[in-house]
Amino acid sequence: MSDRYPSLAQCAVVATAFKTLLFPAYKSTDFEVHRNWLAITNSLPVREWYYENTSEWTLDYPPFFAYFEWMLSQLARLADPAMLRVYNLEYDSWQTVYFQRASVMITELVLIYALHLYVQTAPMAQKRPSQAAALSVLLSPGILIIDHIHFQYNGFLYGILILSLVLARKPSTTLASGLLFAALLCFKHIYLYLAPAYFVYLLRAYCLGPRSIFHIQFGNALKLGAGVITVFAAALGPFIYWGQIPQLLNRLFPFSRGLCHAYWAPNFWAMYSFTDRILIYVAPRLGLSINQDAVNSVTRGLVGDTSFAVLPEITPRMTFILTLLFQAIPLVKLFFDPSWTTFIGAVTLCGYASFLFGWHVHEKAILLIIIPFSLIALQDRRYLGAFRPLAVAGHVSLFPLIFTAAEFPIKTVYSIFWLVLFLLTFDRLAPASSRPRIFLLDRFSLLYIAFSIPLILYCSLIHGVVFGDKLEFLPLMFTSSYSAVGVVGSWVGFLVVYFTS
Amino acid sequence: MSAPSPHKPRRRVKKTTSNGSEVSSVASSSGRSGSSRPAYPLAALLWPARSSVSQWEVLPFILMAAGLARWAAGLWGYSGFQSPPMHGDYEAQRHWMEITTKLPISQWYFHDLEWWGLDYPPLTAYHSWLLGQVGSLINPAWFALHTSRALDDPTLKVYMRATVIVSEYLVFIPAAVIFVRRLSKLQGVNTWVASIALVAILMQPGTILIDHVHFQYNTVMLGLVLASMSSVLAGRFMWSCVFFVMALGFKQMALYYAPAMFAYLLGVCIIPRINIPRFLGIAIITLVSFAILFAPILLGALYDTHRGINARPELDGYFAPLPIFTQYSFKVNFRAWYYPIIQQAAQVIYRVFPFARGLFEDKVANFWCAINVIVKLRNYPAELLQRASLLLTLLSILPPCFLILVQPRKELLPLALATSAWGFFLFSFQVHEKSVLLPLMPMTVLLASKQGMNKRVRAWVGFANLLGVWTMFPLLQRVDLRIPYYVLSLLWAYLLGLPPTSFEVYKHDRNSTWLAFATKVIHGIFYTFMVVWHVAEAFLAPPNDKPDLWVVINAGVGAAGFGICYLWCLWSLTIESDLLNFSKSERRKEKSQ
Repeated sequence: MSDRYPSLAQCAVVATAFKTLLFPAYKSTDFEVHRNWLAITNSLPVREWYYENTSEWTLDYPPFFAYFEWMLSQLARLADPAMLRVYNLEYDSWQTVYFQRASVMITELVLIYALHLYVQTAPMAQKRPSQAAALSVLLSPGILIIDHIHFQYNGFLYGILILSLVLARKPSTTLASGLLFAALLCFKHIYLYLAPAYFVYLLRAYCLGPRSIFHIQFGNALKLGAGVITVFAAALGPFIYWGQIPQLLNRLFPFSRGLCHAYWAPNFWAMYSFTDRILIYVAPRLGLSINQDAVNSVTRGLVGDTSFAVLPEITPRMTFILTLLFQAIPLVKLFFDPSWTTFIGAVTLCGYASFLFGWHVHEKAILLIIIPFSLIALQDRRYLGAFRPLAVAGHVSLFPLIFTAAEFPIKTVYSIFWLVLFLLTFDRLAPASSRPRIFLLDRFSLLYIAFSIPLILYCSLIHGVVFGDKLEFLPLMFTSSYSAVGVVGSWVGFLVVYFTS
Repeated sequence: MSAPSPHKPRRRVKKTTSNGSEVSSVASSSGRSGSSRPAYPLAALLWPARSSVSQWEVLPFILMAAGLARWAAGLWGYSGFQSPPMHGDYEAQRHWMEITTKLPISQWYFHDLEWWGLDYPPLTAYHSWLLGQVGSLINPAWFALHTSRALDDPTLKVYMRATVIVSEYLVFIPAAVIFVRRLSKLQGVNTWVASIALVAILMQPGTILIDHVHFQYNTVMLGLVLASMSSVLAGRFMWSCVFFVMALGFKQMALYYAPAMFAYLLGVCIIPRINIPRFLGIAIITLVSFAILFAPILLGALYDTHRGINARPELDGYFAPLPIFTQYSFKVNFRAWYYPIIQQAAQVIYRVFPFARGLFEDKVANFWCAINVIVKLRNYPAELLQRASLLLTLLSILPPCFLILVQPRKELLPLALATSAWGFFLFSFQVHEKSVLLPLMPMTVLLASKQGMNKRVRAWVGFANLLGVWTMFPLLQRVDLRIPYYVLSLLWAYLLGLPPTSFEVYKHDRNSTWLAFATKVIHGIFYTFMVVWHVAEAFLAPPNDKPDLWVVINAGVGAAGFGICYLWCLWSLTIESDLLNFSKSERRKEKSQ
């Protein structure tokens, strides 16, 4: 108990100081996206929010996030009213930068509170590992790179997610957990990927009796149903009233985009694309036909969509079915064993399935796996074994997000600092498992982690020296293929752990 | 936590219980129950490392964290960014890389002196040459002669920032690591506490703000001095001389330390008994180091003359009198083979030492600038002022030099150097705000000494450092560096549990001395004043007839505070040197705190 130093608050102070120093760092177009949303919500009536298209970065988050931006914009007016003009594109006065960066840091307090609650509610024997896990999330290089350099509000949103996950720990707060998750969905719809796990858990643990599934608890079901409907009504009500739902859906789910995002997220489709690239050279010997169109118009992993030269084309429907299938498998176990650990495992596996098989997955979505997983990574050493390659692969895969020279040392040194510090700490803190470990998994992950060093060196340094600006898709392809192997490997490893524990 | 099973952790965690007295300075034990907690946040951050066996486990993390803070701070603007006509220190350093790589060596100290002419000693010139060569490989336009002036290419900024970090990681940081290690071994300080002190030293806000944000290479000079101090700790006096000469050769400011260093080295040659071989060794190695340092520039001048390259092509073959000893220069034969050497040496000395400049240039927190508020020094002849300055400087450095001469003990060296440097900073002429880094460095490394992390030393070192960055605020604010200033200085204050974030250092046990009480009162007044000043400076415009009011107040208060720091260093040096009788009882009291 006395050994629980440093505290979350102490680390938060130091991290905040560091993040403040990053104010002038590179910021992506997401910065302009959010500035534009501030302008839209501040200067236009609610009716026009989802129709406004002066900027190409139209509002494509659900209404709660729009309301959130509206609230921020009330303060933004005090900082610099010029940032609130819709036509003022690419506006970034220092007041705007300071205000937006500061708003990310202040809303991150939700994350700190959620992590504090997570440590508070942990059982006595788990306090120290929980503290370590909480610190690892607080100091996560993923959040640092995406929020404080690239610019987004993930700290805030994942704070709500963790809060909801932690509230699910106790029966008395399960309802609050469900409602909070419903609200989270109205902030950012990417969390829909995790919804199946919530649905099954709330159904089994809250709406059905603990002993028999035929013992339906109508009171609870009614409360949950009414609550969720209220939350959604608060978010969507005005837009239903104005009949804007089709427009909203159109903005929220743009299916016209390609299978792989601009830069391949390290998922199953990245490996698929990589195999296809290889097959272009091998296919003639095997007598396979090559789609010449795809070879010539190759997007090289840089442009919107990828089409395949040798392997069959992938449709959104196929990715949808695969995602649902791999989400459903762990949910069966959750239905029969609705414990909190299994629930978090199921949430993590839903994240895995959607990340690995989803349509147009963004590399930033890796946090959808890493963050829930962090909460149970110290359950025992087998969990940790699956977590390790994920932590390495996930963070390495975020490197291409930041490509400017000035930020290169920050992203690499910070990630290495975090990986070495927390993987060593976790290694000391994780208790041994009662079951034998899976042979080879440890060796695999060690080899895998070791391989990341030459990879980072090659992608950041050697490639530039040898090839200059040519073949710039190569480092990206290597990074995403490498990371994909790690994510898939950790997924398989975690599936085994999940089903055998 | 380590369960008996085939899957146990590879490293067994060792609990060190022999923490002894000096850990109590870091971990204030609450009651007799043995449950201790960290006394300030930096100790808490390193808390999990208490049980680690060696400092090498913690060191990589410290180095990475220090590097991250420096690089992130470097994302902010540098001095003179897009501010014509002269730009700032950044342009000066870049320009030196340009002239050293593009001009023959004999012209380095003569080239267009109006535009940031080289006025640092030769080692800086060689350093600039090296950095310029490497940089030219990356992009030749960065250091192209004439055309590259005032270049503000963002990639060049990244390169320049990287050169500061690399230089620091090759000089200051190894020196600091080795110094802390040697001092802690010498005085029996626990390695965990030594790691904490190392972080505190490396995160010192002043050096980060001046070198990595405002832009300069002070840490190279400070690192060489620290290496020299570290060699003293190891008893390697000749190495100490080599490093000290290098420090002098990098930046003439190292002269602030020279009297105390000289007194110490002289002291070890005569006390306890006269040691002629050691004296000769030190003398010869110093001369040889200087010779090697100046050899490239002097021989280069000869070689250039031989090649037919004139050091001053603008004179068209005519000769100009020497810049120093001008009245004797007609006695020298312009055609003699050795003339280029004399000409070059005279020019280097003339450039390096600012003979012709005034007592002080800008508002700086030293004695002269403070006294100028009351008595207008302009009305006195410059000659008189220079004499007064010389006299006061000598008076102020005499006590520490005397003490270290008669008590040449290695653990006294940091205090002696700090006192001497404070004397120079307060009383010598041509002092710059940034020079406060010089007294701060040896004072800050006191944190690594025995009892260094206890409340008394932490309070004083913290006070000097925070006052130091505060006096540099006007300099930083001029180039919009308020945010890194606030972040880095408050972070450091927070880590060490200092005001304004915590008043823990001033809470003493019942048997506190009058000295502790005085400390509390003095520091309280100064910290309150600094906070009030910041509020006033931010929200109140100075009266129209006194536009410099805030800056003048800053300098005046700073000078008073630095004077107190000088006295504290001198007082501590006197106590530690055991020359006075009452010191024994005083020390016993301090230990009990």
